[in-house]
Amino acid sequence: MTANVNSIEIKNASEQNGYVVEMKHLKKSFGNNPVLRDINLVINKGENLVILGQSGTGKSVLIKCIVGLSDLDEGKLIIFGKNVSDLTNKEQIEIRKKIGFLFQSGALYDSMTVRENLEFPIRRQLRSTPKEKINSMVLEALKNVGLAEAIDKTPSELSGGMRKRLGLARTLILKPEIMLYDEPTTGLDPITSREINNLILDVQKKYNTSSIIITHDIDCARMTANRIIVIKNGVCAAEGSYSDLQHSTDPWIKSFFE
Amino acid sequence: MQQSQNENQAVEIIPENFSETISDSVFKKFFLEVSSLTIFTLRFFQELFKPPYEFNEIIKQSFLIGYKSLPLVAITGFIIGLVLTIQSRPTLAKFGAESWLPAMVAVSIIREIGPVITALIFAGKVGSGIGAELASMNVTEQIDAMQVSDTNPFKYLVVTRVLSATLMLPVLVIFADGVGLLGSFVAVNIKGNVSAYLFFSQIFQSMEYKDLFPAVIKTFFFGFAIGLIGSYKGYNSNKGTEGVGKAANSAVVFASLMVFVIDMIAVQITSLLQN
Repeated sequence: MTANVNSIEIKNASEQNGYVVEMKHLKKSFGNNPVLRDINLVINKGENLVILGQSGTGKSVLIKCIVGLSDLDEGKLIIFGKNVSDLTNKEQIEIRKKIGFLFQSGALYDSMTVRENLEFPIRRQLRSTPKEKINSMVLEALKNVGLAEAIDKTPSELSGGMRKRLGLARTLILKPEIMLYDEPTTGLDPITSREINNLILDVQKKYNTSSIIITHDIDCARMTANRIIVIKNGVCAAEGSYSDLQHSTDPWIKSFFE
Repeated sequence: MQQSQNENQAVEIIPENFSETISDSVFKKFFLEVSSLTIFTLRFFQELFKPPYEFNEIIKQSFLIGYKSLPLVAITGFIIGLVLTIQSRPTLAKFGAESWLPAMVAVSIIREIGPVITALIFAGKVGSGIGAELASMNVTEQIDAMQVSDTNPFKYLVVTRVLSATLMLPVLVIFADGVGLLGSFVAVNIKGNVSAYLFFSQIFQSMEYKDLFPAVIKTFFFGFAIGLIGSYKGYNSNKGTEGVGKAANSAVVFASLMVFVIDMIAVQITSLLQN
């Protein structure tokens, strides 16, 4: 599959009744160490937003705040037009059901088979789903990532790329509207990385998901990004398309693309 | 002269308030650990009575924790019964009280040795297993993934394991006691010829409910402490591979220590009640 991100039409936010995710003056510290100082960004419907930055700049913390794994110190996080801090616990859970998270390590449950890994989120979130329906959802998700033959294997029997694809299948099985990818190609060879990048684009096309992709992999950014944000010292230092940032006059930003 | 110079150098290297700093940090660490464990325990009771109840996971964990520990507990119990009988026989024989052997061994096994040794074996196998499993789940972000899947990881992982350990250890102890008495019967028959009927009727005649009940009740506390400490160490481990080893190790050490502390308290309470 060729990655022609420009062919994916990104509609203007105003035409889409607002942004999918909006962050206003987000701040987060760990002890005396401020990680996110003042983050302001938006994500449009159907858009792939890549976030670049050096290690330890809080990129992963940023997406963990969206999914509720980390609490914010200050600022507003608005998801689907609703300020998360104004919502009750139950409402926050309902909103977060529409968000998928692909962990850096895949985060597969070692004690479960591939099938059980995929059944787990369905059984937890769609409790009354009949067994036949669960089975067909599992098979469809595995076919989408090309892992149908691995259904009865355990995660320890899978390669790094297969684990990543399985992690993606598990995340997509509930058809989330927002996808958060935490370094999806880290530790993979170039061919497998390209496969994962193509899967990210497939997901965007097929389900019209909005995605945030945290990465250090410049090939991943080039292939998947509609827009890129670079984080430096806890703030958004630059924003633009891949080619905009590649030709930036700022030597620090340019150094990412060399 | 040389020695005096070395001593002076050592004094210069070590800061003046070195011992105070060390003792401060040790005390601080100790109290932080105690407060953290207390909060963890309170959270356990809070989550225990809150729906949804994870019955399937409790049954699965009970199978893994209880059924899978049977062979190890059986071997240990049999050897304890056998060795205790062989070691006690010469002393009792000196006083001409060899006929008291089954009763003496039974009381020792049921009241003290059976519960404590089984609990220590359980701490080594199950406590370390829970610690290592939860710590590795923590390192590989599996606990975070559960949270994202609308699952309360504390309830799903900790409550189920602690509950299973609390319920399974008493069963294992009763089983180990039985196998221990069987080992004792074998040992008695190595140097003699005592029928099973005579051996076990002597045991039942010498036993009272007050021997059995306190011993079984304290095993619930042993199981609870082992499950809780294993879960606490694993769930709060450092996010690194080193954290997995540390969690498993400290779970065994701390849980074994707690078994002795609980045993000491249980013995005091039992003797107070019996007086």
